[in-house]
Amino acid sequence: MMAISTKTTDHSRKFKDFGDFLSTPGYALLPFKFHRISEEKEVLVNEIGDFLVTPSGTAARIVAREVNPENPSDLELYADLIANFFISPSPLPDLIEVLATRYRTKKSFLDYFTSLHIFVISLRCEHTCHYCQVSRVTTDKNRFDMSQFHIDEGIAMMMKSPNPRVTMEFQGGEALLAFENIVYAVEKTKMEADKHGKHVTYVVCTNLALLSDEMVQYFYANNILVSTSLDGPAFIHNKNRHKANANSHQLVIDGIHKCREILGEENVSALVTTTTLSLEYPEEIVDEYVRLGFHNIFLRPISPYGFATRNTNKNKYETARFLDFYKKALARIIQYNIEGYFIREDYASIILKKILTPFPVGYVDLQSPAGLITNVIVFNYDGSIYASDEARMLAEMNDQTFKLGTLGENTYEEIFYGGKAAALSEVMVNESLPGCSECAFQSYCGADPVFNHTTQGDLIGHRPTSSFCQRNMEIIRYLIETMDRNKEIEKIFRSWITDRS
Amino acid sequence: MEVLQSDSLLKISVNAHVYTDVMLAKCFYWYSNNYEVDFRKSGNENFEITLKPLRTSEVIDWTTIIPKIKQDLIDFKLRQHITDETKTIRELIIAKAFIYFDDEDAPVSEISDPVGFTPQSIKV
Repeated sequence: MMAISTKTTDHSRKFKDFGDFLSTPGYALLPFKFHRISEEKEVLVNEIGDFLVTPSGTAARIVAREVNPENPSDLELYADLIANFFISPSPLPDLIEVLATRYRTKKSFLDYFTSLHIFVISLRCEHTCHYCQVSRVTTDKNRFDMSQFHIDEGIAMMMKSPNPRVTMEFQGGEALLAFENIVYAVEKTKMEADKHGKHVTYVVCTNLALLSDEMVQYFYANNILVSTSLDGPAFIHNKNRHKANANSHQLVIDGIHKCREILGEENVSALVTTTTLSLEYPEEIVDEYVRLGFHNIFLRPISPYGFATRNTNKNKYETARFLDFYKKALARIIQYNIEGYFIREDYASIILKKILTPFPVGYVDLQSPAGLITNVIVFNYDGSIYASDEARMLAEMNDQTFKLGTLGENTYEEIFYGGKAAALSEVMVNESLPGCSECAFQSYCGADPVFNHTTQGDLIGHRPTSSFCQRNMEIIRYLIETMDRNKEIEKIFRSWITDRS
Repeated sequence: MEVLQSDSLLKISVNAHVYTDVMLAKCFYWYSNNYEVDFRKSGNENFEITLKPLRTSEVIDWTTIIPKIKQDLIDFKLRQHITDETKTIRELIIAKAFIYFDDEDAPVSEISDPVGFTPQSIKV
């Protein structure tokens, strides 16, 4: 009997018996793609992101109409293919409306348009992180802090978003250097949100070094979430994040404890910025997060911004090193889960949610159409408006390709529906990008024209040399292959996308 | 499929009735990270594909690459077959997904009042 290594749950075909499938000779193909995940296995992925792991050669057998339900060894495969919309007994599937609704659900992140509004409240910073070429160590508030005029204009533009639930995120530099601006912006937004019927979530991104009791109390009083950076144990964090005459690692840990105490554990999150140094210590970084009681960790890939490189060989080498780091860290995280400590890796969780559920994920970097403009907009400290956070970092490298306009000078319509947004939208859909259009992982991945432009000087990008493609292809392949190989790990992965098992 | 190889070049000839130019372009696109790829029609019967390493100093072991090319050609032919055969149903799924969900909200812009009455006050 043919072994189908990953079966869908029985309830997906509970209304029909096998006999029903036997009565119709032949079948019609429904849209699907395939990818070899190992020597022995290939994964089939249909138009709505459902997948089956099958023995190599199954796609060829399906196309050649060799899967015969009258053959006992094919019965299980045939039923799975029918139930999961890979083939249909009739040219027009009875459940085409279900397929269409599932497709629409996968794209429902577009329904409400832009939610995340990033305010770069100040470009000033008191750290001198070696990988950051954006922030300025200066006391010149007039030049590097966002003016109240630009804050007002940014809030007015945010209120025009069709989305009833928006997020206002304060970034820097170091946002807390301009705490008075944050207070001004929040108070102003509260009034405007009441008028416009908007629900606003506030987030402050900070290194926590300047956190005071007054600030934490203000965050508590206004339900403001805190997002910080923790790069791992002290020897990594302090090397990555240099602060003159201070222990940055100790400051962030003290800040995390203080925020947790007042705001609650669930309202404080931390992100890892992966650097070349970090790549040598995957286990140590995970251990530090566990030591500090975190139940999630986001292993973000090395960002090309700030030290952008268009050297193909170097990119390939860095990607290979990152993937090695990622797999070792993921193994450590899985081990903690097996031992009973729940900790989730966020990048894997985003992809797993796309693989294992019918729902989309609001993660800007892995969307098609891409998340820039449609999901995120950035108001820079000087009033410039950019299509994404990475786009404004690119601007600090004197590249204004993704500048959409200026607060106070351009209207909402000019920014969101103008010529530049329209031109970008042509390269924001991976269904129509070379290399992506035939890729089995298309519905789990995304389009990132900012990354393509930064690393390859081309908005469309060249997939065979793209580190974005190499990284995501391998992570997606690895997650599927790991779930297929080990059902205990699949159970852990499923617990990550339903919070707790 | 015919294969000719030298240290610095691989030439492959495939039947044009079996592999279309679209299939070849999609397949050999993935080789363009390491090779200069050229393909052209040779008479009516064949396509001739040439792979030349981008890094001339590199010694290429063609014996490992040729089986991969053969497998990739079959895979991309299969993919094209699925794409062509399911084109209509795919378009239908996407059309059905969005056709019933037009935004029917009233326009948010102000309606002009050129003749002196408020349009919203008219009962229909």
